[in-house]
Amino acid sequence: MRKFPDPGPVRLDHGSAGRYLAGLVKEHRRALLAGVVFGVACMLAQALVPAAIGRAIDLGMIARDRSGLLLWGGVVLGLAIVQAVTGILRDRNALSASLGAGYQTMQLVTGQASRLGATLGRRVTTGEVVGVGTADIASIGGALETTARGSGAVVSIVAVAVIMVSTSWRLGLAVLIGVPLMTWLIALLIRPLHGRQERLRDQQGELASRAVDIVGGLRVLRGIGGEDAFAARYRAESQRVRHAGVEVARVEVLLSAAQVLLPGLLVAFVVWLGAHAVLDQRISPGQLVAFYGYTVFLAGPIGWLTDAVDRITKGFVAARRVTRMLALEPEIVSGPLPPGSLSSPAPLTDAVTGLVVPPGRFTAVACAEAGEAAALADRLGRYTDSGAAYGDIPLRDLPLTEVRRSILVVGPEGRFFTGPLRAELDPRDTSADGGGDRPELAEALWAAAAGDIVDALPDGLDTVLVQAGRELSGGQHQRLRLVRALMANPDVLVAVEPASAVDAHTEDTIAARLARARAGRTTVVLTTSPIVLSRADRVVLVAGGRVAAEGTHAGLLGDTRYRHLVTRETS
Amino acid sequence: MTTLPVAGAREVRAHARRLTLRHPRELAVAVALHLAASAVALAGPRLLGDLVDEAGRGIDRVDRITLVIVALVVTQAILVRSAMYASAKLGEKVLAELREEFVDTVVSLPLAVVERAGTGDLVTRTTRDVDVLSRSVRMAVPDTLTAAMTILLTMGALVLVGPLMVLPCLVAVPVLWAATRWYLARARDGYLRQSAAYADLTDGLAETVDGARTVEALELAGRRFDRVNRDIARSYATERYTLHLRTVYLPICDTAYVLPVVTTLIFGGLLYIDGRVSLAAVTAATLYVQQLLDPVDRLLYWMDDLQIGGASLARILGVGRKAAGTGTGGAPQPACTGGEAQDIAVKSVSYSYREGHDVLHKVDLDIRRGERLAVVGPSGAGKSTLGRLIAGIHEPREGVVTLGGTPLTEVPLGALRREIALVTQDQHVFQGTLRDNLTMADPHAGDAELEAALRAVDAWEWAGELGLDTEVGPGRAELSPSQSQQLALARLILVDPHTLVLDEATSQMSPVAARRLERSLAAVMEGRTVIAIAHRLHTAHDADRVVVMAGGRVGEVGTHDELVARGGIYAGLWNSWHGGQDAD
Repeated sequence: MRKFPDPGPVRLDHGSAGRYLAGLVKEHRRALLAGVVFGVACMLAQALVPAAIGRAIDLGMIARDRSGLLLWGGVVLGLAIVQAVTGILRDRNALSASLGAGYQTMQLVTGQASRLGATLGRRVTTGEVVGVGTADIASIGGALETTARGSGAVVSIVAVAVIMVSTSWRLGLAVLIGVPLMTWLIALLIRPLHGRQERLRDQQGELASRAVDIVGGLRVLRGIGGEDAFAARYRAESQRVRHAGVEVARVEVLLSAAQVLLPGLLVAFVVWLGAHAVLDQRISPGQLVAFYGYTVFLAGPIGWLTDAVDRITKGFVAARRVTRMLALEPEIVSGPLPPGSLSSPAPLTDAVTGLVVPPGRFTAVACAEAGEAAALADRLGRYTDSGAAYGDIPLRDLPLTEVRRSILVVGPEGRFFTGPLRAELDPRDTSADGGGDRPELAEALWAAAAGDIVDALPDGLDTVLVQAGRELSGGQHQRLRLVRALMANPDVLVAVEPASAVDAHTEDTIAARLARARAGRTTVVLTTSPIVLSRADRVVLVAGGRVAAEGTHAGLLGDTRYRHLVTRETS
Repeated sequence: MTTLPVAGAREVRAHARRLTLRHPRELAVAVALHLAASAVALAGPRLLGDLVDEAGRGIDRVDRITLVIVALVVTQAILVRSAMYASAKLGEKVLAELREEFVDTVVSLPLAVVERAGTGDLVTRTTRDVDVLSRSVRMAVPDTLTAAMTILLTMGALVLVGPLMVLPCLVAVPVLWAATRWYLARARDGYLRQSAAYADLTDGLAETVDGARTVEALELAGRRFDRVNRDIARSYATERYTLHLRTVYLPICDTAYVLPVVTTLIFGGLLYIDGRVSLAAVTAATLYVQQLLDPVDRLLYWMDDLQIGGASLARILGVGRKAAGTGTGGAPQPACTGGEAQDIAVKSVSYSYREGHDVLHKVDLDIRRGERLAVVGPSGAGKSTLGRLIAGIHEPREGVVTLGGTPLTEVPLGALRREIALVTQDQHVFQGTLRDNLTMADPHAGDAELEAALRAVDAWEWAGELGLDTEVGPGRAELSPSQSQQLALARLILVDPHTLVLDEATSQMSPVAARRLERSLAAVMEGRTVIAIAHRLHTAHDADRVVVMAGGRVGEVGTHDELVARGGIYAGLWNSWHGGQDAD
């Protein structure tokens, strides 16, 4: 079996669900082909059992030949062993393809989530993407897996038809017309099922999304109450899903009934024809039993065939959701300039407010309006497109990776991931074990006054952060985000309220040390805290969407607007 | 990572039994229909045996028997449809109950448990495990029942054909028994590990999606890819193990259940040659034994799914083990109405998130009714933890927190909420309308009350514009952190408790907005006990008393003026804050 995971993401055409599935088939063609070969061998061995039993009756029993009986009995056993061995080989190969497709999709979805970055949250919910990672990859795997059994079913149907026609063309013809007719009728029943299943899947996704939402907001629910109201809303939606499920089942059971009725009628018809043939002495009693066996057997492969159609249908539905996610494009695209365009330190300017951030200095910006700081940070870091420029080059003309590497925005939306703290704090460390323990880390921890956080953890820097560091307090989070930003060591650091959740004393320490740690580099802090503002080389007041005043903190305190904004005085 | 517990095999069996018997009428109908369908299916081989035996006796008989076969097939199809519909309906009902009970359990989980186990595990349990279980309940369970019934009925039919013909069937029993024992002993753990590995895979994806902006900002795509690859490698290893189990088990079964066909044929054939049984009997017996193949196959096929379903059920039930949440125990206490009944006492309380690492050390604190208490101190001093203990969210590891003399752990959660409420610094906007996000705090609140609450927190301006029935939350109308915080405070107003614990509840807001909000809140806080956990010292300045925490202990307690005069930790903090302003 092939080894997983692949070292890198596979390149697949995700233009449509069909092309996506075709790409996966091509990717796993060896396993799928082996699965098909073994699937065919398995089904053929099974298909030949009725013929061998028929021979045992005719050549053994009716001829009263003990050795003939033993010989054909032995053939039946031999066929069973072949069927058993090829059956598991088929399943192994099919599973390999199925898992492979699932894992590759997982890699692609993870890669796409990373590629979309900030865009992702604006376009899809976490629940939807997690739905792709759970149910959809299973459906896609199921669609690939089913090819082995499905094709075995097709071939065995053909083989049985050939045997039947060569024994009696009338009976053979009856089966040859009967089986496709049956399959067609069953397909007719599947069609309305398709849409219903898709709607059900969407509803189930919504329900899962709601459950994810409840889990995410559990802290709030526990603090304020409302668990009952929420459980009730979940219950209401769950009941809707239940009724939708029953509606789908109403169609599904028709399919099951048809799977009994149609082969059953065919069997009756074939047996009736066969009995007449026995009466006319055109076939033997053993052959009649064999015909009965074939037609009963055919219900099996036809079942697999319809199951295959069903699974492939579900696979398409899932692939459509995956391709929809993969087709999303980042809202922010790379500029046309070649890499290396952003080299020497230059002032960073914001066209909207007229803010100019001089290179190599510690600038603090106090924004009077709520929300202005976040918007300004988004423009300076190019999370939204604007006329912001680095020197005289607009940010939107630069390669995006270069902008990301040079300008780092650190704010409340930053997340940590599950993993050892040491690696989490050092995003630029590319050594595989993340245990490089760079000397800069101690400096960064000192600068962000975060040493005590690490000391309090059971294994220090080797402690594994659980669930994005949920156990840490808001202030601890904030300081560790700052440590991480300092380790990233960008040319320009844009920090949004970097120390708003720590006590006054620590805030002052951080502000002073931040200025030292970033000496000679460009740092912009968006804050209204007098403690941080007083540590900046230069302070800019942004009010009414424009730069309203510039100077030092002490100097600007003479400005009423500024004083009113940053101190608690009310006039 | 600490994971949530998984229920034991005995517990799963007991629960499955209760689940099965919860709707006896529906279950009886479904079983009866399946039984009837299986019984009808048995007539075929018997009739065919007759056909083979009597083929020489004339066209009339052949036609008559064929008509009977047709009638039976139609009956069987109708029975199958009704049986499957009945079991699907029952299955959906049971499933809905299962997932709803599960969510009920989840919302009563102690918070500490959820935070440590990770939401990914819980999410997998709510999505994939419920999915897997749905397959078991909707398909595996009824089909297994039908298969078992068919096997029993077929054996009965064999006895009717000729008691001797049952013997060859028994050949397969020891082989199947031994192989199945071997398999089942290993399969459960194997599938549990498989599910756990899958949970990690989902967890990793959820983290990547949730932190996508961080991934972009810090170019962490490579690391996220490494993470998914590690998870895939683990998941693949567990898949290979269960595949190995099947590779041993399934071929043995496949061979074992064809053995009876071969022995029936040879044994019956020899008996026939010796003239001891009729051709019809051997034919019917062979066909019956062959017909056994399908139900036995189905039984074994579903065994796999039932195992996986059992594993999922174990994971779903496992959550319930942790559900005996804080404050849910004990007899209902009379509602505390006023006076001393509203005094809160923290007595010698210690607390740890991890064993051996106390974040609070023997904290003592008395909070009087109507008092405005500020809790300050450096980050990580245990302020938030103390707040959660006072709100009854966490249970002290040692010591006790009492409300009017009653330990909080003995106050039912519902009653506790109306007494004490907590607003934390982490906010969550729930999927749903703005109204849903508010009425969770008070289900009976009308538009006027909601508007009043939003006005009190200065949020009516944007909320009124948005409209109460606008869908908010991720992917819908997104609220800013400060709007989320206002929403949280509005909820608090709707809950109307006599004691509020504000855990840095205004920290996400700009000072200007915070100031405006605090002015509006002042009216709301009037007459209530307020425990404000804050780092902005003006909150402490305005408080009746200030508690200074450091290193998990209460360092100083007193009024602002007393503490400043004392020249201790608080005085140092105050000077740092005030000194920074460079003006007075």
